[in-house]
Amino acid sequence: MNILKSIIPAIALLATGATAASAHITLENQQAPVQSTYKAVFRVGHGCEGKPTTKVRVRIPEGVIAVKPQPKAGWTVEKVRGEYAKTYDYYGTPTREGVKEIVWSGGSLPDDEYDEFVLRAYLTGDLKPDTTLYFPVVQECPDGAAERWIEIPAEGKGADDYEQPAPGLKLIQKK
Amino acid sequence: MNGNGRTGAAGRRLMLLVLSVLCIAGAQLASMGHARAHASLVRVEPADGAVMAEAPKAFRLTFSEPTSPLVLKLIRPDGTGAVLDRFTLRDATLDIDAPADLGHGTYVLSWRIVSEDGHPVGGSAVFSIGAPGTSAALAPGDAADWQVRAAVWAAKVALYVGLFIGIGGVFFGRWIGDGTHRVALWSVFAGLAAVPLSVGFQGLDALGVPLADLASPVVWATGFSTSYGKTAFVALAALVLAAMAGVDRGAAGKGLSVTALVVAGLALAASGHASAAHPQWLTRPAVFLHAVGIAFWAGALVPLGAALASPVQGEGSAALRRFSRAIPVAVLPLVVAGVLLAAVQLRTPEALWTTAYGKVLLIKLGLLAALFLLAAVNRFRLTTPAARGDGRATARLRRSIYAELVLVLAIFAVAALWRFTPPPRALAEAAAAPASVHLHADKAMADVAIAPGRAGPVRASIAVMTGDFGPLDPAGVTLVLSNPAAGIEQIRRPATRDSEGVWQVEGLNLPVAGQWTVRVDILISDFELVKVEDNIAIRP
Repeated sequence: MNILKSIIPAIALLATGATAASAHITLENQQAPVQSTYKAVFRVGHGCEGKPTTKVRVRIPEGVIAVKPQPKAGWTVEKVRGEYAKTYDYYGTPTREGVKEIVWSGGSLPDDEYDEFVLRAYLTGDLKPDTTLYFPVVQECPDGAAERWIEIPAEGKGADDYEQPAPGLKLIQKK
Repeated sequence: MNGNGRTGAAGRRLMLLVLSVLCIAGAQLASMGHARAHASLVRVEPADGAVMAEAPKAFRLTFSEPTSPLVLKLIRPDGTGAVLDRFTLRDATLDIDAPADLGHGTYVLSWRIVSEDGHPVGGSAVFSIGAPGTSAALAPGDAADWQVRAAVWAAKVALYVGLFIGIGGVFFGRWIGDGTHRVALWSVFAGLAAVPLSVGFQGLDALGVPLADLASPVVWATGFSTSYGKTAFVALAALVLAAMAGVDRGAAGKGLSVTALVVAGLALAASGHASAAHPQWLTRPAVFLHAVGIAFWAGALVPLGAALASPVQGEGSAALRRFSRAIPVAVLPLVVAGVLLAAVQLRTPEALWTTAYGKVLLIKLGLLAALFLLAAVNRFRLTTPAARGDGRATARLRRSIYAELVLVLAIFAVAALWRFTPPPRALAEAAAAPASVHLHADKAMADVAIAPGRAGPVRASIAVMTGDFGPLDPAGVTLVLSNPAAGIEQIRRPATRDSEGVWQVEGLNLPVAGQWTVRVDILISDFELVKVEDNIAIRP
């Protein structure tokens, strides 16, 4: 009967639909039209195996430009700039280079607390609707511990097929 | 029958529950989108890779959030798995009662839990009690404790004396001679005293702890859990049977003495280097025949010598005639089995002088040559005149038989040394070629070699390349092994880069043989991870 004892709470949990807590780093808004400005909210629900999060690094995928991180009290934000693979059109302005990585550091988010890291960016028309755009995120903790949410699902696979999927954003047609 | 019926009903209820879980889980999956909550393991006790002196009383898994266990399994050193169903769940911590009978060896604690979102997460921790390894019969390390070794050796010699001189002597007294000689009976008692002690010594040796720890219960539990425990148990039964046969002069005594002889043979066939060798259908019966033959021969010496010295006219010569008729029947299988076992263990003739095992065998062969020479003289020169009643020949034969006895004891003393020398067969197996596999993806490849390629303590070397055989210097490499067939969830180990650019994982332990899934996670840069996966066959 011990097996039953272990399964019943599982059913109870499943039936009530517990979706709030998230060990993965995910995006709050997981759908956005191309050729629009998107506010990306990265939800960090856990540290690295019990350790506090001290650094969050977000890789900006190609086709995402005009990136502006939202300042965060207690954290230093760093913008790593670089050249894009091609020139993108930003409301008529050709854009060849910009922010390619955002790093929040200097803070300490305990494992048992929750926080959000926010940036705003423009999703260019070069991005294809009906595809998923991934923002690889590396979460660093003291003593060299890190969680890397950087797995990009292959064609035909979803985030659930991976242990540490990158947060994804479903692109839809321009409104 | 009633019990089976209940199990069946419980099984059906369980099936229904599992099905309902699956249905709800399916519905949840469909509705939940991408926000997933995975509980990650924060801590496991005992820690992955831990080696401890004593068996843990409990296991503890601490997760990052509340969980419910689905399956908790413990895979034992012999590869059998047991479901752990006694546990308490406190928030995110799972306390699991450990089975009480954990002996020496390597275990895998494997879990599959469901976290808040109903997503099952699995993992494994490998830990060892005593020393890592799958077999308790492996040779002890270099840092030998001579006191413990001497004790193990002495107990082994005493066991031989009890089984061969004792049980063989009782058998002789019941079937060939006339009554039980007191030396045979005392040998049986010596064996009865030595066998339990030898279990404790075995435990000390297996755990690598000093003689002073003999009183510790874990030492005894460990001793019993090694393959020697079986031998000790069966040997004890044989000695008790022989003690009963020694005092019963009737038909029951005759029957008991035969049973004791057979059980003694089974005891020795139950463990040891020779019985562990393959093919077992050959080696185990060979050990049995060898042991029974020795008991018959060695056991006869004391009572035969005594009978020849007996003042009762004709008593000695009658026993001598019966013995000399029976002895070829015992010696022929003894010799054939011995030669066969030596061939299996040595593999090559050079091993005779190049390995410790071979040297022990050489000394034993020297003593055996002397013994057979004496035996031949006794049989072909002295037996016939002595059986006729020739006084001088009888006296010479008696002296010669006592000389044989001394040689036999020396052979026991030498053979007991084998306890400390792994046979060349085992050495060759230890040096077995590694198992290797090539893992391939577009962006990166990995060549994984696991050495030795068999279950037990191993090390893994991983060479990584780009997809077109170019050099690759990744930020990190992680080896992930699992064995779904054996119910072993992922065992993850980070690799470290050596000076030649090969990534190494030391201190790995593969507790069971079979098809393992090997995956290498190559962190090419901070934001780029490539996973390559395939199967690898691990030999037993």
